[in-house]
Parts: sequence; C-alpha cells; structure tokens
Amino acid sequence: MTKTRSVLLLLFIFLFIYSAQAQTNHTVSGSIREKKSGESLIGATVYLLEIPKSGTMSNSYGFYSISAPSGTYTMITSFAGYQQDTTRITLDRNINIVVGLLQKSTELEEVVVSSKKRNENVIRPLAGVQKLSVSDIRNVPVIFGEKDVLKTIQLLPGVKAAGEGNSGFYVRGGAADQNLILLDEATVYNPSHLLGFFSAFNSDAIKDLTLYKGAMPAEYGGRLSSVVDIKMNDGNNKDYHVSGGLGLIASRITVEGPIVKDKGSFIVSGRRTYADVFLKLSSDSTVNNNSLYFYDLNMKANYTFNKNNRVYLSGYFGKDVFGIGGQFSIDYGNSTGTVRWNHIFNSRLFSNTSFIYSNYNYNIDLTSNGNDLLLKSKIEDLSLKQDFQYYVSSRSKINFGFQVTRHIISPAVLNATPGSSFNSIDIQKNYSFENAAYLGHEYTVSDKIRFNYGLRFSSFIVTGPGDFYTYDSAGDITQTKTYESGQIVTSYFNLEPRFSVSIQTNENSSVKASYTRNVQNLHLLSNSATSNPTDLWIPSSPNVKPEIADQVSLGYYRNFSDNNYEFSTEVYYKTMQNQIDYKNGAELRANQNVESQLLYGQGRAYGLELFLKKKAGRFTGWLSYTLSKTEIQINGINQDSWYPARQDQTNNIALVGVYQLSKKWTISANWVYNTGTPATFPSGKYSVNGQTTFYYTERNAYRMPDYNRLDFAATLEGKKHKKWQSSWTFSLYNVYGRENAYAITFRNDPDDPNKTQALQTSLFRWVPSVTYNFKF
Amino acid sequence: MKTLKFLQPFCMLVFLFSCTKVISVNLNNANPNIVIEGIVSDGPGPYQVKITQTVNFSDPNVFPPITGATIKITDSSLGITDSLKELAPGTYVTQKIQQGITGHTYQLYVLSNGQTYTASSTMPAKVNLDSVTFYITNIFGTKSTSAIANFQDPAGIANYYTFTEYVNGQAINQTFNFSDRLSDGKYIRRQLFNDSSYINPGDQVAVEMHCVDNQVWQYFNTLGQAKGNNSQAITPANPLSNISNNALGYFSAQTVQTGLAILE
Repeated sequence: MTKTRSVLLLLFIFLFIYSAQAQTNHTVSGSIREKKSGESLIGATVYLLEIPKSGTMSNSYGFYSISAPSGTYTMITSFAGYQQDTTRITLDRNINIVVGLLQKSTELEEVVVSSKKRNENVIRPLAGVQKLSVSDIRNVPVIFGEKDVLKTIQLLPGVKAAGEGNSGFYVRGGAADQNLILLDEATVYNPSHLLGFFSAFNSDAIKDLTLYKGAMPAEYGGRLSSVVDIKMNDGNNKDYHVSGGLGLIASRITVEGPIVKDKGSFIVSGRRTYADVFLKLSSDSTVNNNSLYFYDLNMKANYTFNKNNRVYLSGYFGKDVFGIGGQFSIDYGNSTGTVRWNHIFNSRLFSNTSFIYSNYNYNIDLTSNGNDLLLKSKIEDLSLKQDFQYYVSSRSKINFGFQVTRHIISPAVLNATPGSSFNSIDIQKNYSFENAAYLGHEYTVSDKIRFNYGLRFSSFIVTGPGDFYTYDSAGDITQTKTYESGQIVTSYFNLEPRFSVSIQTNENSSVKASYTRNVQNLHLLSNSATSNPTDLWIPSSPNVKPEIADQVSLGYYRNFSDNNYEFSTEVYYKTMQNQIDYKNGAELRANQNVESQLLYGQGRAYGLELFLKKKAGRFTGWLSYTLSKTEIQINGINQDSWYPARQDQTNNIALVGVYQLSKKWTISANWVYNTGTPATFPSGKYSVNGQTTFYYTERNAYRMPDYNRLDFAATLEGKKHKKWQSSWTFSLYNVYGRENAYAITFRNDPDDPNKTQALQTSLFRWVPSVTYNFKF
Repeated sequence: MKTLKFLQPFCMLVFLFSCTKVISVNLNNANPNIVIEGIVSDGPGPYQVKITQTVNFSDPNVFPPITGATIKITDSSLGITDSLKELAPGTYVTQKIQQGITGHTYQLYVLSNGQTYTASSTMPAKVNLDSVTFYITNIFGTKSTSAIANFQDPAGIANYYTFTEYVNGQAINQTFNFSDRLSDGKYIRRQLFNDSSYINPGDQVAVEMHCVDNQVWQYFNTLGQAKGNNSQAITPANPLSNISNNALGYFSAQTVQTGLAILE
C-alpha cells in the first residue's frame, strides 16, 4: 500500500510542476470528427503551423488539446485517407473547436496532397505499434471472403498465425493467450468463432485497431506479449444508414443513425452464418437435426450531453452453437458490455470513466447411451476503470488512472441426471481482484527527442471462499487450507515500468528504443495448436505465480518519397518467467486439483522485423519479414533443457498488394511464407498389447514442412446511385492449391500391416468465395 | 472425456475442405530401447512377461525379442519370489506363482544387458462386469455401433479399468480405459467408442474388462492420448510407464473378466 501512496504522490508532484510551468498559455481543445457521419476520429494529427513541435494526436474518443502562448495560429488537422483541415484560430483564451474532416474521394486521378505531418510513425516514441483502419483490411483477401481484422494483423511483422486459416496469433514469441484483446475496453477471452477459423469481430462494426507488440503504454496491462485495442464505430449522428453484405458463409447487416441529430447516435451490427440452413434442407434426419452456426451482434450508442460530457454504451454478444441430433451440443461465446463517461474537466484535463463487464462461457450437453449431462463453465469480469489525460503543454501530456477488476471463474459445473454414469459436481469457483494504478508521460524534449514512459503498479489478490492446496512433486496434496468468503489467500504486487524514446535523426528518420515489463495473472491451459473453446483459464494462486515478461527493442524508422513509403526495422529480445505447461496425461477438465497437473518454466524470444509499406497511389501494400527464435525451458520436459516453442517460426514473410485497376475494379493479392512450426515426431516404434506404438525421444525436435500460400481478390464497384452503393468481391484462397501440411500423423500402413507410414493432412486448397456488399 | 470424440465430426466439417496424402518424413533413428509387458491376473496362471525392443520407424513391424534376461516376480504379500523361465525368445513365464490374488502387491525385477528395471503393481478388488450391450450412433448419415460395458462402480474408492475388445475373435487395435474420477459409485455404461472398425449385425463381440491400479490406468490413458489423437492438436509423448529406468511398457496386476454379446 505504501507503494500506491508513493505513486500517487509522484503523480501530484508531476501535475503541480507542469501546471505551474504552463500557466501563461491558452488552450485549444475539442474533438475531431468525420464530417459526414460525426464518427470521432482516433489518432488524427493536430498541430499549430507556427509552432513546429506542437503536434498532438486525438485520443480514442477523438479529443485533442493543444496549449500555446497567446497569438494567432494556423491549426492543421490531418488523418490518413481524409482531406487536411486548416483553421485560423486566435488564442486569447481557452477555446473549443470541433474539427470535421472529409474523406478523400477515391478518384483515380487524385493527386496525393503532401501534408507535412505524415511522418507520425517516425516521430512517435512508441516502438512496435501497428495501426489498422478498416480501409486497410478492406481489400486484403481472406478465406471465405469474411473480412477479418485478426487475420489481417497476422500479415504484419512479428505477428504469426496460430495455424492454417486460424484467427489465433502469436506476437513476438508469446502464446495465443498472452494477447490482451480489448473491444471497447472489455477483455474478450475467446476472440474466435468455429474453432478459430473466424475471428469474433465483425469488421463492419469496427472503427480502429491498434496493436502494441512491445512498448505498450502504462494504461494497458494484464497480458504478456501484446495488446490489441479494438474500437467499435460510434454510429452516424447525421443520417440513417443501412449497410450489409451477403457472403458464402455469413451475412451481415448494420444499421446506424442519430438518436438526436449531432448529439447522439447508435449502431447495431449483426452477422450470422448459414451453413445450418443447408443442413436443414437435407431430407436425411441424421443430417437435418444437426445445428452449426455462429452469430455476433455489436451494439453501441452514445449521447453528448454538452461539450464536456458524453456517454457511450457498447455491447457485444457472440455465440457459436454446434449440435448433433439431440446427442451432443456445445455452445460458447463472449458477451461484453461497457458504459463510459467522457468528462472534460477543463480544456486540458480529459477524463474517462468506464464500467466494464465481460463474460465468456461454454455449455456442453451430452445425451447419449442413457447419460444426460450438462457441463457449464464461465469466466466473468466486472471492472471499474478511470483514466485521466492531462495536456500539460504542447510538449507534454500525462496519462494516469486506475483499474479495479473482479474476476470470477467457474471452471466446471457438471449436472448429471440420477441415472447417468456421472456424478453432479461443482468445481470450486476462483475469486480474484486484479487492480492497477498507472502513470505515463508523453514528453517532447526537443525537436528530435521524444519520450513516452510510465509505470504501472499492478496487484492480483486471490480471495476465498475455497480450499487451497499445497502439492508435493508427485502432485499429491500435502496441505489443505480453507478460506472464508472475502478472506485474502494470496496477493501479488508488481511494478511494470514502460519506457520508450525516439530520436529523430533527420526529418524522415528516427531511432527508437524501448524497455517494457508486463505481468499476466490469468493463464490459459492450452496444449493445442488450434483454439479450443473448452480451454481452461486459471488465475494466479499460491501455486501458480504471475507470468512476467521483460522486453527490450531497438528500431530504425524511415519514410521515403514524400512519406509515401514507410520503412521500419526493429530488433527485440524478450524473456518470460513463470511460463506454464502441463504434465503428460494431465486431467484438466472438471478437476479441483488442476494445479497439481502443472509444470513451470521460462521462455525467451528474439528477432528481427522488417516492414516496408507503400501508403498512397494506385498501388498500395506492404512487405513484412520476421526472423525470430522462441524457446522455452520447462522443468520436467526434454530433460529440463531449452527447446523450440510451438510458436517458433524462423522465417516469416508476408507480401500484400492492392492495385486499383480502374474506377470500377480493384485487385489485390497476398502471399505468405513461413518456416514450418516445431513438431514432435517419433524416432522409433514398438509393440504394446499387439498394437504398434510410436517411440518419442524429444519434444519439438522436428519441423512441419515450410508453408506458403497465395490469395487473390478482385472488387467490382457497382454503379453509384445517389443513395445506393454496392460492390462485389471475388476471392480465391490458396491460388496455386498448395497442400500445406496442417498435421502429420503416423500409422500402420493399411495395405501392409508390416509397415508404418506418415500421413499429411492439408486444409483449404482453392477456396473460392464471392461477397456482395451494399450500403444505403 | 467423451466430448472430444463428439468434437471430431465438428472438425470434420472443416475437413470437408481437407485432403490427406502419404508422405515421407526423414525421421531420426533412436537407440533401441527395452519394452516390457507383464501381467499377473486373477485368472489362471502361468503369467507372462514379454521383452522386446524398439526399432526405427522405417523398419518393418518386427520387434526383436530380448533373450537371456533374468526376471523375477515377487508376491510381497505372500513373500514368494518366482524366477521366470524363458519359454520362447523374449517370452518369460511364471513357475511358482500360478494364481494372482486380489489385494496383493506384485513386484517385477528385470535384469537385461546389465540394466535393472523394476515395477510394482497392486491387484485391485474385482468389479463385476454385468453385461455387454450395443449403442448405435448416427452422425451425418454415418452409422456406427459401439459396445457398451455395463457395471456398478463401487462407491468411496478410486477405481480404474481397462478394456480389450474382440470382434469375432479379432482384437481391436485399441486399448480402452476408464477412471471413476467423475463417476464414483455410479452405474457405468461405458461406451467403447471406436471410430475405425465397425461392428456389423451377426458379429460376436467379447469385451475383456480389467480392474487395474492407478499407475497402470495412467499408462493406458497416456497411451490412448498419444495414439488416439489424429489432429495432432496435442503434443504426443511416450505413455507414463510404471517401470523404472526409462523402460517402455507396463507391469500390471489386474483382475480379468469377459462379457460376450452378439449384435442382432
């Protein structure tokens, strides 16, 4: 607790010093919006022409604030894909200006306006940050034609796909559960549908995505390797619009409009698959009584009470259902809800208060062979998050705040009918508080040197009620302690320093360095390469220590040709402590003593990333290359020695190109290549009970074959009517039909029982798709 | 758990887009390792211990016997030690111990090529196998029949079972197992879910049920995980053996009972 106090004290000293310094200045503040729809724009650049160092960026709610001495200035606002706005302002007092930006028309003959400040990527101190807007993902070909933000980020350096067609991903050697995925600030525990083949996010509902691969600002925490911060659209506050699409797998529809014109808006976006509709068409009762579908629904509303107060409500509901004719069914999904209140205390102090709810659950119903049982599992979070942004001066901004989260994890409740072969059980729930206070400072020292540093103080408090066990090395209970409701079982406190600096070497290039420590207190027990909806989340506990990662990175950023090309390279080195694996034969399901099944170790990851992007013109796209190594060492596996982790891919290349052929046609392609992932293959065989059994000598000592694939898409814009817009997208996944290895298994040769053979399974050769999109 | 079996057709839908082919993989060779299989049961003796060794993956499925080993089985409850006789190359049989007894602990000692391997197993109380019945599932038009072992699990103690299934006298290439961890004291209808061979009307099915101790069950449980998983979702590993010194295989003192049924 003394630590918390000293952090707060430090905070007030900061505030005091900086407010004292800045007193002679006046402030221009307000919000930046898309002119036609009123959508707030995140990350738009605002600066005063007369003060070159004065640049700031609009925050996640579109708010900006710049302070300067009294005078008359030219305020320039720009945002990628939008026309630059120039406003003359007179700063003789604090003023409020709402800036509306117009989207650039996609006319071919458009000359790219060279705005002076398109080198944000160079000057921003944070290293390892990638932003994607929906326009970035619009033209990238994807499987089944379903636009997918999580699959598109896998084409960026340092990010790797967790398997063919999978929306799970690994960032800089981290596991899939080490990514913090936030949707309007709520944690999404399972970001995928249909065993990972689709992401949980309907891209029609998404405004903006930011990926932090390393140097995340101090306001983020809770996961080891990355933050994916996804913001939903606010909805058009001028007119009503409907847009949607019909695809091969799913259809989407979005309705948005004003609640009160210019004051409030709503958006509702839904998506559902229809494979089950085809099942229903079958006359075969063993086919038509099966169900298989997923849907998701994004809803958001906001209302501006006055220039200082705005409230947002957002909700997400996603569900997957799979059932086999009354014998077996599983449904799972995330629900999240966020209530946010933006309050502007004064032109320099912005506040956001969020109440966040997040839930992930699954239910399995099994009715067969006289057994009737229902298994339920759930993880539920309730959070209060308070963020302040204090715009001290044109060169200095302080972010501070805190978050309190209550986690309740119910690993398994098994309800069985009396005649069933199973007993009803209720595995003890886990209760914990995850709290954090943070302070961050964005500071421009000079024209050339910028800092973004901060400190996050996090705590994880496990509370009763419940029994907590101590285990011996064999996994047998040596001691049981019983705790009352609310009684503290164990607490972990961690300081997470975050530090980034950029040093501009000339107008177009910079060098960035960073150090970050991250702590993770919720751990996913997953041994599978594909995402499994029934994977188990466990909290830190007396036995399970928080995972800790330390990362250093060094990068060089350079823009060319009037900022039309951007190039960056980064090297990183990361160490991970208290990594978790489980024993061979571990019983994870409905097991009170799941912690007795775990093994602990450490990880290290390092690599080199290269990124070259062409941002403007008829041809746009990027090339990304990653050279990396990820190893783990787990006590009890591979004679305790280091071995390649599942996410280790030595070389990783992604090439994305979008070319606007004519006013009507846009074509795009992407090509990916990666070294095969480590795999465990047998080194011999023997016989047990007359059955051929394979003999393994080393974990992950082999590799799957290298992977490569080309995808292609073409978009045809329909004739533009005054109101109605439409387009067709045709795509082909895996153009050259390469049989990439999804799995390699070993078996007796069916034709010659005296021999054994290796069998390769490949997914998805030549998957064509067509999608029709409309908007009115 | 059974859920995983049911998830397979779920995955199959995705696999509609999939294809398989036989490939050649360049696998390392490993030094031959000893494989010991030994059983003492409550059925009539003599009991057998088989010793073979591993071969390279590319070799034919011929597993060389290890001859000339010294093998002893001790019934520590009775204090009897039996030196086994090599009946055929690699196959050793008991001489003194001709009747395994429930509740007794048996110790195996193997000395081969200068290396010593030991194991210990306790024969649990017998659980009666009431009957063998059938259960038919029909998923996406694919009908499959599995045998069901019906028995009453005794309450209050941990019980572990393994099953061997024979269709028309031919053993199915799979060892089934069951633990009462979630089913203590219940009447068990254990489905021997077999996705590769189907039972047809008129077939005679024999199910051999064994009550085994925890370590032997763990062996077959991990063996099943390494073998039964075709999606390679789980990193395969050698099953957890109850024999020391990195030997492969198992030594089990178990009860045995067979149930018969004919599919109509």
